[in-house]
This record gives sequence, C-alpha cells and structure tokens, in this order.
Amino acid sequence: MRPDQAAIGWAGRADWDDVVVRQATASALLVFGCTTIWGLTGGGVFWPGWVAFGLALALGLVAALRWAWEQTPGLTRRLAVQGAVSIVVLTLEVGLWMGTGFGTPWPFWSALGYSVLLLAHWLVAVGWFRLHPEREQKLTRRVEELTRTRRGALDVEAAELRRIERDLHDGAQARLVALSMQLGRAEERLGGDQPELAAEFRRARDEASAVIGELRDLARGIAPPVLADRGLPAALEALGRRAPITVTVTADLDRRPAAVIETAAYFVAAEALTNAVKHGGGAPAHVIVDEAGGRLTVAVRDEGPGGAEADPGGGLEGLRARVEALDGTFSVASAPGAGTTVTAELPCA
Amino acid sequence: MRVVIAEDQALLREGIVALLSEHDIEVVAQVEDGPGLVRVIGGHKPDVAIVDVRLPPTFTDEGIRAAIEARERHPDVGILILSQYVEPAYTAELMAGGQGGIGYLLKERVGDVPGFLDALKRVAGGGTALDREVVAELVQTREAEPGDSALAVLSPREREVLELVAEGRTNAAIARSLVVTVGAVEKHIASIFGKLDVPGGDDDHRRVLAVLAFLRAGDG
Repeated sequence: MRPDQAAIGWAGRADWDDVVVRQATASALLVFGCTTIWGLTGGGVFWPGWVAFGLALALGLVAALRWAWEQTPGLTRRLAVQGAVSIVVLTLEVGLWMGTGFGTPWPFWSALGYSVLLLAHWLVAVGWFRLHPEREQKLTRRVEELTRTRRGALDVEAAELRRIERDLHDGAQARLVALSMQLGRAEERLGGDQPELAAEFRRARDEASAVIGELRDLARGIAPPVLADRGLPAALEALGRRAPITVTVTADLDRRPAAVIETAAYFVAAEALTNAVKHGGGAPAHVIVDEAGGRLTVAVRDEGPGGAEADPGGGLEGLRARVEALDGTFSVASAPGAGTTVTAELPCA
Repeated sequence: MRVVIAEDQALLREGIVALLSEHDIEVVAQVEDGPGLVRVIGGHKPDVAIVDVRLPPTFTDEGIRAAIEARERHPDVGILILSQYVEPAYTAELMAGGQGGIGYLLKERVGDVPGFLDALKRVAGGGTALDREVVAELVQTREAEPGDSALAVLSPREREVLELVAEGRTNAAIARSLVVTVGAVEKHIASIFGKLDVPGGDDDHRRVLAVLAFLRAGDG
C-alpha cells in the first residue's frame, strides 16, 4: 500500500514540475511575441509589461500552491494554501496600485484583511481542537483498545484451546485409558473359559482405543504436544524431522512468545512445509525463525521449482487470515526457478 | 520383578497397580511427580519404572526428563514410558546413552494385558519395547528419503524385520507376523547386524544397538 502511494505522490510532483516548466516557457514566448509586436508597431506605452505581469502572477500562483501542498497535511497545509493564495492576490493588488500611479496605499488594508483572515483561520482551528479534544483522543483510545482487545481475545482463545487440550488429556482420554485397561483385565480373566465373551471385550477395547486415537488427533490439531512442552524451536525441529524431505531449522529465540503467536508461527511452518513437500519435487527446505524489534518472523524457503500460485481457499490463504487477525503480515514469493518462500511476521512484544 | 510407578492420574495408577499385583509383580513405590521418581529409583533400585510423560510440577515432559536423570545415576533400571501421544524425539533422547531397557508405549496399550506385561518384562530385562505407532512414524519419515537414511543399506524385508525388532518382538513372533520361518528371521537379523556395523556380543544387546541405529536414522 505505502510504496504505491509514494509512487503516485512522486509522479504527481514530477507532473507538476512539468506543468510549471511548460507554463514558464509558454509565458516567456508570449511575452517575447508581445514585445516584438510592440517594437514593430513603433513602441509607445510598454503594454507587454502588463501581459508579463499577468502571466507571472499565474506562474506564481501555481508555484505557491505547489509549495503549500507539500506541507504537512492538516492545519499546516490549510494555512499554507490560504497564505499562498493571499500573497499572490496581494502581489496582484500591489502591481495594480503601482501601475495605476501610486495613489492611496489601499493594498495595505487588503494585506491587513488577509492577515486577519489567516489568524482567524488558525484561531478557529486551534480553538476547535481545544474545545473538542475528546474526538481525537477518543479515536486514539479506540484504536488502542481495539488492538489490545483483539489480541486479548486471541490470547484467551489460545489459552482456552490449550486448556481444552489439557482437559482432554486429564479427563476423557485418561478415563478411556482406564476403561480400556478394565476391559483388558476382564478379557484376560474370561480368555480361558469363555473365549467368545472375551472376544466381545476385545472388540469393546479396540473401540475404546479408536476413540482415544481420535481424541489424540484432535488434541494434536489444537497444539502439538511438543510445542506446548518445549516451545517453538523444538516443535519445528520435530516437524522438520518428520517431513519426508531434508529440512534445516534455524530458530534462536531468547524467550517464549505468547501461546497464540507460537501456535500461529508453528502452523505457518507446518503448512508451508506440507506445500514444499507437495510441490517442491523433493528439494530441501529451510525454516528460519527470528525475533527482532518486537516482531517474530517465520520464513519457510524451499529449493523447489517455484511458480506456486495462491490457491483461494487453500491452506496458505487460511493461514494468511490467521496471521492477519493477529496484526501480522503474510507473504508468498514464488518466482519460477527461484523456489517458494512463505514468510509470516507476527507481533511478539 | 520390582516396579515403581510415576503417574499422577490416580485412576490409571491404581489400575496398573491392581493389574500388576494380579500377576505377582511387586509395585514397591508409587509417585506422582518427576522429583519423586528420581528419588524412588535411587531408593528402591527397581527392575523397571513405569513413567507417565506429563507429570507435575510442569505438566510438560517432566517424566522424560526425570527418567533421563534417574537413568544417568542408575543405568540398570529399565524405563517404560507411557504417553498419550507419539513423540519419536523423546524415545531417541531416552536411548541416547546407547543402553537398552527402554520402552515407549501409548497408554491405551495397557489394555492389552499380555502385551503390556510382555513389554514390561522385556524392558526390565534390558530390551526395548517401542510402540508400533512410534515405529510407524519413524518408518513413514524414512521411506520418503531412503537415500539419506542410515537404513538405506537394508533391503525392504530387512527393514520390516528391524521395525518389528524395535517393537520388541521375539524372533518367533516376527516369523509369525511375516509368515516366514524363524530361521529366515535369524538370517535377516544377522544380515542387519552386519550392514549396520553392530558389534558382536550378547544378542539382546546387539538388538538394542540395531534399534538405536533405527532411532538415530529417524532422528535425522
């Protein structure tokens, strides 16, 4: 967004310079033409001076407005525009006063009027801000509050998910394990005398095992145990080891980021590695995690063919939403022949 | 056989104690946290310790860390880890010392009473008992890039045999599972030892070393 705006602003200034140059050239030619005509027609009162004066005023107006427009947006710019216009108009008036034979110095009163108007503008604007400071303060507070509560809500969500995972572990999973054990003991006792009944118990135990397996997959989807246990670098190492391609992991963190950031970074790396495995043609991949200036950057680069296209509704797009919800940025660079790099930057102050 | 248990979930702990006493296995101590485990292993010198990965006070990998610490001081004590999830890295860490007497089972395997008791006995005897899911995960990873793996020298059949050795199966059980003769299994195992440069000596220890090679290959 920002570079584009800068580019447009720059092009605008260049165009304006162009306008000024053309206007100046055209004016000079006109004045030269008029002077030639004046000379050929035998002189007399030097009327081309008035032409030159008019053209110079127009040029001055453009240049003054250009200067004014470069001032800080807001009150300063508004005052600058008003001041620039006032000065040009005043110059016109002084010119007229001089051209009409230096009579009563009426432009003085104009100058005084313009100054009063300028002062009034400034006073009103400042006074309005003084009288209504709450509006700006309110907006600032609101932005801060929204930023904080959004992060807060996501932190709460992440903490809540980990609590659910722990509850599953200590609650449902533990009881199912106990159940499975009781079934196993019953099965063992029945084994000799009532093999058919024992087989029933065996099937019940298999069913319990299947449920335990499903709960395990569910818990892993919330946060892989090794991430919760040992943090991001260890979890990424484990992820890299599990991948069927060679993965190098460079992760050096001084402290553990918030759970929500850690989990997001982990899933970005996991999804990007899945993509690298799928589209990288078996080429190695590199995971780099870095923390600087309150931002955590996780980048996954593969040495594959590149040329990946964003798949709407695909895994990477889902991650973009997740990262952006955390006030982070997400980008995919995949020029043909240059591999694919997925980068996510997350706040971790 | 003398056993200590480190498990904070009372339901499971008491169930295991009841199960073991039915089979004349003596539970000499029960603890609920990592420091307690280190203490009772030192105090009772059991044949094997049954350890839950997640224990107080941290509820993370406390059990693994306590087991590693206890093993450094008492290398003869077998460690059978019970966990609700598969984490090959933890197994590799436990076996990093190059010693056997290590097992890693998913908790629900306790329900398979004969299998669980068998695993416990193997670990107490210095063998290994890796959950088939741990093995499956390692194999899945390695098969995708056989060229980079230390196991690349093995034939597919030999790799299958090694997986079953890692689970702790006996030669007879491996023969049944692969529908071959025990003699064929023995030949495969001898070939695995040769290809992985497992030094000669006690057969049980050689099996442990081969499993260790398998774990290391899985550890990248």
